[in-house]
Amino acid sequence: MGWLTRIRRIGRIAEPAPAKPAPSVVLPPTGRKRSLQIRYVDAGSCDGCAIEIGAVFGPVYDAERYGARLVASPRHADALMVTGVVTRNMEQPLRNTLAAIPEPRIIIAVGDCACTGGIFADGYGVVGSVRDVIGADIEVPGCPPRPEDIIAALRSVTGR
Amino acid sequence: MITDVSTVIGAGTTPPAGAAAPFTYPPATHLWAAEPPTPAAAPSFLARVLSGAATVAIGATGIAAGTAAMIGALHPVTLDWAVPLVGVDLDLTPLGGLFALLIGIVAIPVGIYTVGYARTQHMGRFSLTVLPIFVAAMLLVSAAGSVPTFLFAWELMAATSLVLVWADHRRPAVPQAGVFYAVLTQLGFMLILLALVLLAAGAGTDNFADIAALADTLPGWTRSTVFVLTLIGFGSKAGLLPLHAWLPRAHPEAPSPVSALMSGAMVALGAYGLARIGLQLLGPGPRWWGLCLLAIGAASALFGVLSASVATDLKRLLAYSTTENMGLVAVGLGVAMLLASSGRIQIAAIAATAALLHLVAHAAFKTLGFLSAGAVLASTGERDLDRMGGLVHRIPATTVLFGIAALGASGLPLGAGFVSEWLLLQSLIHSPTPNDPLLALAVPMTVGAVALTTGLGVVVMVKAFGVGFLARPRSAGAADPLPVPRSMLAGMSVIAAACVVLAVAPVVMSPALTSALRGLRVNAAPLGPVLLRLPGVAGTVAPAVLGAGLLIAVLLVVLISRHGIRTRPKPVTSPLWACGADGLTPRMQYTATSFAEPLQRVFDGVLRPDTGLELDRHPGSQYVIAHAAYRARQRDVIEEHGYTPVLRAVRALAQVVRRAHTGSLHLYLAYGGAGLLTVLIVSLVASR
Repeated sequence: MGWLTRIRRIGRIAEPAPAKPAPSVVLPPTGRKRSLQIRYVDAGSCDGCAIEIGAVFGPVYDAERYGARLVASPRHADALMVTGVVTRNMEQPLRNTLAAIPEPRIIIAVGDCACTGGIFADGYGVVGSVRDVIGADIEVPGCPPRPEDIIAALRSVTGR
Repeated sequence: MITDVSTVIGAGTTPPAGAAAPFTYPPATHLWAAEPPTPAAAPSFLARVLSGAATVAIGATGIAAGTAAMIGALHPVTLDWAVPLVGVDLDLTPLGGLFALLIGIVAIPVGIYTVGYARTQHMGRFSLTVLPIFVAAMLLVSAAGSVPTFLFAWELMAATSLVLVWADHRRPAVPQAGVFYAVLTQLGFMLILLALVLLAAGAGTDNFADIAALADTLPGWTRSTVFVLTLIGFGSKAGLLPLHAWLPRAHPEAPSPVSALMSGAMVALGAYGLARIGLQLLGPGPRWWGLCLLAIGAASALFGVLSASVATDLKRLLAYSTTENMGLVAVGLGVAMLLASSGRIQIAAIAATAALLHLVAHAAFKTLGFLSAGAVLASTGERDLDRMGGLVHRIPATTVLFGIAALGASGLPLGAGFVSEWLLLQSLIHSPTPNDPLLALAVPMTVGAVALTTGLGVVVMVKAFGVGFLARPRSAGAADPLPVPRSMLAGMSVIAAACVVLAVAPVVMSPALTSALRGLRVNAAPLGPVLLRLPGVAGTVAPAVLGAGLLIAVLLVVLISRHGIRTRPKPVTSPLWACGADGLTPRMQYTATSFAEPLQRVFDGVLRPDTGLELDRHPGSQYVIAHAAYRARQRDVIEEHGYTPVLRAVRALAQVVRRAHTGSLHLYLAYGGAGLLTVLIVSLVASR
């Protein structure tokens, strides 16, 4: 079976787009709607949220159709997406990554740990939640958050 | 015999402590760094200026004489009093005029440059005296009108350049480089001597003009022998294989103005010899002549560029690049010879034009390259690319000047070497070969070799410029360079201007090339001004238009990027992105070695690098490694596998001859007597 045949046979497997969520109070960082370039940083999570983010950008949920895209370099990004509590080892890299993202930029905290510290909140290797360390413009609670919730948060920024 | 780089990375070496500590990695294998230059006093201002002025004056004479020769204003001159018995015959032909012009173009900036260089690098008064004589000797070679004058000038040029190479003889690498240069250049001279004597004896005259008239009457074997001997002999001066090994040794060790003169002008005289004998005196001979020259040229070009791509010493890299470029010139001459003997005169003229133009372009960009390498050496004390870097922020003018040279050497548009390489490819592509299996085989292979050479040439120059001048300094010397003296910058600017003119408006060389080509036997029909319109070929290139287009494009981009600048946030300066980590160190940068590593891997079979990992295991356990050392040495393959057997044979022969040398004076006298007697008897018998 050639790859063209395979593409035709499988077809499109993305779920139908749910209804448009309410626009966020946060304006799209570039000042232009419909597009958001995201640099993702795992500040010390258990990887549960990372798996959900992987699903968000996978073929089923397909966040790219709403204009959100993961990029490899913070220099290309408008948004910093963080999962997990901020551990001591990751505090400085997180700050460096934020500093490397050109302004205007937004910070999206994904998961309970990122928002409040979650079950790791008072651990000896933990500096604090993302909100405490660098601040967060958008928070997506959940342990882990459902992909639909993450997508809703992203769509609230892109407006698509 | 280890030729150059030996990098040993010890696992036990202490890492640089903190950002403030000078970065010393790799360890100083560099002789210069290990042993400071001899504390000889710098020559006085007067001596430096006198030497520089004399060099400039002789260069200007060369330009004037060359121009006069090309418009046909010069007549042969014979100075009987100058040298006993034979006199000196001067006859500057238009072809020689082109080379006199070239020598002048090289000598003037070198003269200006030497004033500053001699102060910082302590060139001795003796070297300063010999420098103008060297330039004059080169001019004499281009103006020689007879065999004895030519040989005399050639030997004068060889001897003066040897003295200059040896100038810094207290550094340990210099004597060895000098010996290599002396042996190879004298070997070449011997072959040229033999060939020219054969030629003069065959023709019955030693005047080049008369030889040219009589050359067609010479027997075929004489012509062929002369050609082969001169091919090897002049090839040794031009840095062609197999007698190229002096270049990568002598050029790095000679003072930089001398390297520039040798690589820009003297090496070109090797090509002058080839063109003079092969294309002017003997004419386009049988087709195998052209094929020989073509094969040697293509092999030299490929070998030179490959060796340059793995060289880490900047001046050694430039020296190998000289072998590459002279290879391309030889390809051009070979194609001209081959096509002329196949009856394709017009295309042959294009190939010859390409070769001559490439010589001029090479003289310009390689002179600039060596001068700027010398400026880097004078200001940082470094020659090793692995220890340079960050110079663009510290000595920006030198960086820009080296950039012009590198652009020229890489053969890209708007570089000095572009038009000539383009012409060479045009001549190859437009040599259609109906019913000619030889050309049908040779031409595509040559196109492939030239294309590969050009491509790798870009890699070489990207490496030299990127690793050497950009990014962060890799050594204390590169971190804190001394300012480059103004006279050196002035000298480099002069030759950089020549590079830019050659790149943007190569048409200025058109009259000179046209008149030089008239002297060669590749043009049956009178040529129009070459370069403006290629004879018989529908190909055009206009570097000036390219340059103007680039300028307009840059202006457009600048204008567009200024659009909406008010609504944008203010620019900020932020640290380099290091994947979130702190503390980027110069150790994380590409080095010249690591940049060339993929190429070294691909061409492993040709380059045969000597690399290996040596692990010292802990005596207690074989799983614990006490010390690790990585070894990477790049040797010259041809030198190692070609020269060593010959040297061994010579040594064995010397051992045999030694048996006759017992130390007995009586025996030596007997040898002398016997020798004299033999000569007398032979001459007696021969005269009967």
